[in-house]
Amino acid sequence: MLTVAAYAVVMPVSFLLGCVAGFIMHRAGFCMAGAFRDLFLFRQAFMLRQLLLLVAVSMILFEAARVMGLLPLYPFPSLGPPTLASLVGGTLFGIGMVLAGGCVVGTLYKLGAGNVLSGVAFVGLIAGSALYGEIHPWWGAFVRSTVMGNGSVTLPEAFGLSPLFPVMLSVGVAGAFLYRWQRHGKLQRHFRVQGHVQPWLGALLLSLTGLCSYLLVGMPLGITTSYAKLGASLERLIAPRHFAEVAFFKGLPLDYRHPLTQERLVGGPGPAFDAVAAVQYPLLVGLVLGGLMSAVLVREFHIYYRVPVRQYGSAFAGGVIMGLASRMAPGCNIWHIFGGLPILAGQSLLFVLGLFPGAWLGGKLLTRLVIRD
Amino acid sequence: MDREQKAPQVIEFDIRGQLCPATLLIALKELNRCKEQLHNGKVQLAFKTDNRDATITIPEAAGNMGYGVEVRHVDDGYLVVIERGH
Repeated sequence: MLTVAAYAVVMPVSFLLGCVAGFIMHRAGFCMAGAFRDLFLFRQAFMLRQLLLLVAVSMILFEAARVMGLLPLYPFPSLGPPTLASLVGGTLFGIGMVLAGGCVVGTLYKLGAGNVLSGVAFVGLIAGSALYGEIHPWWGAFVRSTVMGNGSVTLPEAFGLSPLFPVMLSVGVAGAFLYRWQRHGKLQRHFRVQGHVQPWLGALLLSLTGLCSYLLVGMPLGITTSYAKLGASLERLIAPRHFAEVAFFKGLPLDYRHPLTQERLVGGPGPAFDAVAAVQYPLLVGLVLGGLMSAVLVREFHIYYRVPVRQYGSAFAGGVIMGLASRMAPGCNIWHIFGGLPILAGQSLLFVLGLFPGAWLGGKLLTRLVIRD
Repeated sequence: MDREQKAPQVIEFDIRGQLCPATLLIALKELNRCKEQLHNGKVQLAFKTDNRDATITIPEAAGNMGYGVEVRHVDDGYLVVIERGH
């Protein structure tokens, strides 16, 4: 299978998009875990407004690209029909990201900026993703038995509609709210440190990175299968016999034709260097480097490890839960919020719905068990 | 009424490297605990953090409570100083 040209496109593109996204997220304080958590913990919806802006702008960009015929893969690969698994996965993911102090992407840019706890969460993410291999057989059966609707991937598809009208309607509603918030100054933040990027500008730029990924890689940003790949590689090293028995690592769920080169790209959570590795490893490295570059330039890169032990436990447990949840859902917050929600994918709507009770529960656990006197 | 012009005592908290949102939670707790001394200008609270987010959220919360806030970039992070409102 020839994949040279496709890899030559997707690897540098993913790397660059990772660097840009990591940099912007660090400068704008674009913490998605915080967005959901703070709604419950501090009754603060500032970052959720920015996420709505990001989704609304992505909707316009994706729909415009689709209408112009630039998105031959619509809906994009790896999205299945909605199942109960997305709701359960989203809820667990919400708990995990709050306990870890960052989502699957936040963990990376914060790690780049020198945060030790994010490093611990990163290790937890790898462990949790590998752990999913143990429950995959029966979880897969649960997924298959809870498919909702007629097997359609997106809402418009389920109702036999063209995406144009539902997308315009959603953008209209979101736009009305955003306009109101903008007029009341609720989209602006007063920064007191140098080198900041306003979160609304961050949201616009991040939706552009999502579009670039969709156009050039063939799908929006996704990262978490690479955590499973890292877990698989370690498991093969540490427990090769057991590894050989885990069916999950043998699957190749990603299989699509790269739109720009027409080469077939295939990959899965196993340790091989395949299409998943070519797309996601550079993105992962880019996100860490983006956070690092940003932090170094504003003299914020410092490593502190003297924090309460409880917080280490929380970061690790949060990482494990997030890793597990992102395979159960399947997909992570960036996949569903930057990619699936803008095309009204059923899985993504359920996942995001699940994030709310998850973040609430995570906040309760955090304040009762982790951060206390 | 005679006003004391004594310099306020600075109480410093080192919350660098801590899990988000420990910084804000600790700051809020201490703001509440030291409410009286802060109001009568006896103390200033200084939170040392390396969390960019905390340089926004702590001043926002303290500002809403009517306190004066200053954020300084120091060698190993940021110092968020909270004092009696002016």
